[in-house]
Amino acid sequence: MRALGRKVQVSTYQAWVATLAGFMLLGALAGAVVFSRGLVVTNLTDLVPWGLWITIDLSAIAMSAGAFMLCAAVYLMDLKHYQPIARTATFIGLIGYSMAVLTLLLDIGRPDRFWHPLVFWNPHSVLWEVTMCVTLYLTVLALETAPIVGSASWVERRWPRLSARLTAIHHYAPYFAVAGLGLSLLHQSSLGAAYGVLKARPIWYRPDLSVLFIVSAMAGGPALTVLASMLTGRLSPRVIIKDELLDKVSSFIGWILVAYLYLRFWDVLSMTYTYQPGRTEGLRLLTQGPLSFNFWVGEIFLGIVVPMIILLRPGLRRLPVLRMIALGLIVGGVVAYRWDTNLAGQLIVLTYLPQEIVARYTRYFPSLIEIVAGAGVIAYGLLAFTLGARYLNVVDHQDVAEVKVLPHLEAAAAD
Amino acid sequence: MSDEFVGRRGFLKALAAGVSATVGLRLVKRASASETGESSPHRWGMVIDQTKCIGCGYCTLACRATNDVPPDIAWNRVIDAGKYAGEPVYLPRPCMHCENAPCVEVCPVQATYHRPDGIVMMDYDRCIGCRYCEIACPYGARAFNWEEFTGPNPEVPNWGEPEVARRPRGVVEKCTFCYQRIDRGLELGLKPGTDPQATPACVVVCPTKARVFGDLNDPESGASQLLERYPAYRLREDLGTSPRVYYLPTRKEEVAG
Repeated sequence: MRALGRKVQVSTYQAWVATLAGFMLLGALAGAVVFSRGLVVTNLTDLVPWGLWITIDLSAIAMSAGAFMLCAAVYLMDLKHYQPIARTATFIGLIGYSMAVLTLLLDIGRPDRFWHPLVFWNPHSVLWEVTMCVTLYLTVLALETAPIVGSASWVERRWPRLSARLTAIHHYAPYFAVAGLGLSLLHQSSLGAAYGVLKARPIWYRPDLSVLFIVSAMAGGPALTVLASMLTGRLSPRVIIKDELLDKVSSFIGWILVAYLYLRFWDVLSMTYTYQPGRTEGLRLLTQGPLSFNFWVGEIFLGIVVPMIILLRPGLRRLPVLRMIALGLIVGGVVAYRWDTNLAGQLIVLTYLPQEIVARYTRYFPSLIEIVAGAGVIAYGLLAFTLGARYLNVVDHQDVAEVKVLPHLEAAAAD
Repeated sequence: MSDEFVGRRGFLKALAAGVSATVGLRLVKRASASETGESSPHRWGMVIDQTKCIGCGYCTLACRATNDVPPDIAWNRVIDAGKYAGEPVYLPRPCMHCENAPCVEVCPVQATYHRPDGIVMMDYDRCIGCRYCEIACPYGARAFNWEEFTGPNPEVPNWGEPEVARRPRGVVEKCTFCYQRIDRGLELGLKPGTDPQATPACVVVCPTKARVFGDLNDPESGASQLLERYPAYRLREDLGTSPRVYYLPTRKEEVAG
């Protein structure tokens, strides 16, 4: 590239960061339009009040599930050698939950009142419980991430006291793991239950949604963590990854997919028996209607079956490119599941006239503003991870990183 | 123990103390709130006679004026419900003020709640605009303010004068059984359902008296009397929401006569 007559070298990294920053800027502009003009700029209606942003919110939380799982594995099941992956997963979790908070701020009509659920409690509401869990878990994730920031060499050099304090928080990692496990099991399932408790929407009204939401998150979360670790290892010459660890986690994800497919199969099959107004039409939308490509190809074939085969066959799984494709497909499949679930219940409008209940169809496609603002949030997530990988070594499987923390731990244990 | 930080035991103790203190305080607050919680002798309800409704839509217009509802929102809709004995049938639909209201159950901030007299209220200062209640309501009775309602209300003054504040952008709104008329009427010693000033605007404006409002706890009220005399139904009773709006289905002999 030439600028001011001098040759300027732009690395792929710089171009990538600049592109993401550009998308973030556009997203911020779209957000400003939303805040100044209101939600009228979206394609949401009183019939379909939850759309693209809710899907991003749900997906970002699902993709953060790697954090609670790997922290539980390392600090509760004592699988210490997975510690470097738990570190990556925790950082992704912090990004994921902050993305969820950003999209929620866009989505609620009164973002200035975002704190109301913390003060005005309705313990009966699933959404209240989710809000409380997300707030608490975001705090846990921030505390879990603090030692990562503290152990970065440039933080250590410039602010040694702060670095020591942040790193010392690592001492409580097992307690954070317990809190994270409890909070995540609660709200990951409750996000499904938020739909599942609504009697007015028969396609949602079943307990399966809570189970499917957490099981799919348990596949998607670690999948994104492993994928991000592999990509970073390939793109950055400084980063060293231990492939045998990632390989083991990948095969575990393969088994989660088996469980997910099994549960989804019974979930869908059980709905095919007897006509129930709203539920049958919703299922038709999903299996034959406008959502059918998403369902059969996105969710089931590419999202579960193909990656399941790749990740469970050692010969296929060991091919890095194939494994990365499989992990990417899982992420896409989980997002498709969130999108389909959210819309299947809303695109069917049931009548309440005294005659036979009739199901009517409505439509939704996000507006340009919704898409640009949503893309901005996703770009923020990607940029945060890129910078974390570069400046905080969030992907680093060398033993050195662990040794730095250990003296503190030993000192504390000796007290 | 290192002075850098409190030990694990201390940390846990502090955490447990903090959590139990918070929960304890909330529980105490809750208990005292329910102890002093007012009760009401009234249980407001509405009976809508489909034999009398001619589908003129005056109720929608009077409601818009009285409650300052924007033109793109209707708290009270009149729905075409097909034909019976050759005559068109209509179904006017206010908020059902359900006894087991799904909206009240799901609201994360208790912005929608039951008054002691059964009215499902909205606290527009508390609503965060998440729209979960809209998704939960089986009757489509809730509307979100997608944009700010500015300028004059086209139904004012032909159909009435606004009696409540206009809602801001970004909150959900719905029919309130004109609680302001009920409350002021009771203060003045009037009887809601009988005295027009104390009765919901849609009931007062109805040219065929198809709507009757009253206290379901009072066997002498107009609403209770109608329910005594005629078979009635409620919308989507299968859901168990137990609405406080009753409908009298079209009676063939009266339509023909």
